[in-house]
Amino acid sequence: MRLITHNMLKCHVKNCDNPDKQFPLRFKGAELEQVEAERNDEFLVRMIPRLDWRALLVTTKELGIELPENIPEEPENDDAFLQALHTAILETHVKEGSMVCNGCSHEYKITKGIPNMLLAEHEI
Amino acid sequence: MPKFIVYFAQLHEDFRLAELNALSKLENVRVEYDPCNYILESPFLVVEISSAEQAAKLVRRAILIRSIIEYWGSGRTYNDVYAEVRQEQERWALYKTCSFKFTVDAFGKSLTQEEKIRVIDGFSFLGFEGPIRMRGAEAEFFVCEEHDETREERVWFGRIVGTGSRDLIDRFDVKKRKYLGNTTMDAELSLLMANQAQAQNGMFVYDPFVGTGSFLLTCAHFGACTVGSDIDGRQIRGTAGFKRGVDGIRANLAQYNVESRVIDTAVFDASRNPWRPGPLFDAIVTDPPYGVRAGAKRQGRVGGTKGELALRLVDGVASYTRPDYYPPTEPYEMSDVIRDLLALAAEKLVVGGRLVYWLPTVAGEYTAQDVPEHPVLRLVANSEQPFGSWSRRLITMEKIKALDLHEAIVPERDPAHKNFRDRYFSKFEPVEL
Repeated sequence: MRLITHNMLKCHVKNCDNPDKQFPLRFKGAELEQVEAERNDEFLVRMIPRLDWRALLVTTKELGIELPENIPEEPENDDAFLQALHTAILETHVKEGSMVCNGCSHEYKITKGIPNMLLAEHEI
Repeated sequence: MPKFIVYFAQLHEDFRLAELNALSKLENVRVEYDPCNYILESPFLVVEISSAEQAAKLVRRAILIRSIIEYWGSGRTYNDVYAEVRQEQERWALYKTCSFKFTVDAFGKSLTQEEKIRVIDGFSFLGFEGPIRMRGAEAEFFVCEEHDETREERVWFGRIVGTGSRDLIDRFDVKKRKYLGNTTMDAELSLLMANQAQAQNGMFVYDPFVGTGSFLLTCAHFGACTVGSDIDGRQIRGTAGFKRGVDGIRANLAQYNVESRVIDTAVFDASRNPWRPGPLFDAIVTDPPYGVRAGAKRQGRVGGTKGELALRLVDGVASYTRPDYYPPTEPYEMSDVIRDLLALAAEKLVVGGRLVYWLPTVAGEYTAQDVPEHPVLRLVANSEQPFGSWSRRLITMEKIKALDLHEAIVPERDPAHKNFRDRYFSKFEPVEL
């Protein structure tokens, strides 16, 4: 699972609805893999407003990934910024491990890069 | 504006104009035509476009268009065509010395080699002196006779200025894929849906019933980045049923060179999804389960959830924490599936984004009111693929404004696709009221 997707997922257990706790999900035992991918600037620039930057900073710090604190005025012209963003959200894969909710402690397991976000019967 | 002839493929006829309109918007090429001239039984439509370059651009991604032809003449007889062509003699000079080729075709009839040669000879008055090249000719001329018992014959003549992308159908043929399943959508329709969604570079496209991932592939082929989810992890991972052991959806990515653009897949119930609030996607492209081959289901239990079962201790640990725990599911009725899909699209699409999905309908009972509506989604296209007693319709909707959380869909009558699975297995016998 790439970090761009993680940046868009929150805990959805019944009654777990404190927005500060249910998102972002905290990684536990994350096994990372860097896989080179074709850079797509048009996509990166278009996604910037849809990312939760604060959450992305929390997550990348947790995992030891480099990411600039601030988004530049004209990201489309900032090659270094785009490269860092590309590496962080599109080239960093979490292969195994789990995502834990800081609110209700539910653990969502990740297997072979695919997260399982199904809820148990008492959580729906 | 100059006239061109759109030469359509003669299949999926109800989808052709919808695709033409979607491409016009996608490629930003204005195309004008009189809808009254569009005939389902004919592969030809005369349109007006500002230039040959624009015409080529319009059709370059088309799945249901063979080619686009600069209009030189048409009529009931060859003499009518010659007369019309003679009205623009200045144009012939442009092609006097370049290499050229004539393609002679017939629709609704076959022509022998001798007949084709005679047709070509009939155009010798054009006075082309350049070399004839079967491959790589600088100018390719096209003659086609159209025969249909129900209509007058027509002969068409012009210069081919652009071709569609029907060659992609073979490349994406499901039989060639490393991984597929019994619900995998055929290549032609999967590619068509990518055009309806206007999938292109920079876009982020989501499939909430991703299954074996066909739309992730075709949308990514056209440049979009894609994500998919499904309640059934086995379909995504490829661990059950068809072609086990090839690593599921991932197995197809290298084959189609889309590894960088198929971003992720995840396992969850579309109707109980973990996306954070607000618009995230430029398009949602999907084939929801009708409950016929793939039992539509969602998280829950028939008769009501029993949370205590998940918490029951087994070998000292709560049942739901054990690795072999499978949360129960309940049947997911078709009209609920669609209603939830529209709600999902209304919330998670950006304004201007599109929802493209298949709606199963019962022939003979379907009315336009069966197509669900939503205050922020505008119906753009509705094309029918008939299967006799039932059909499915490819619905395209566009989000026209931001969602006000107080707006919801209120269905006024039971649509014909309600309880579709039961109707299908009872052969669509009329429902008793």
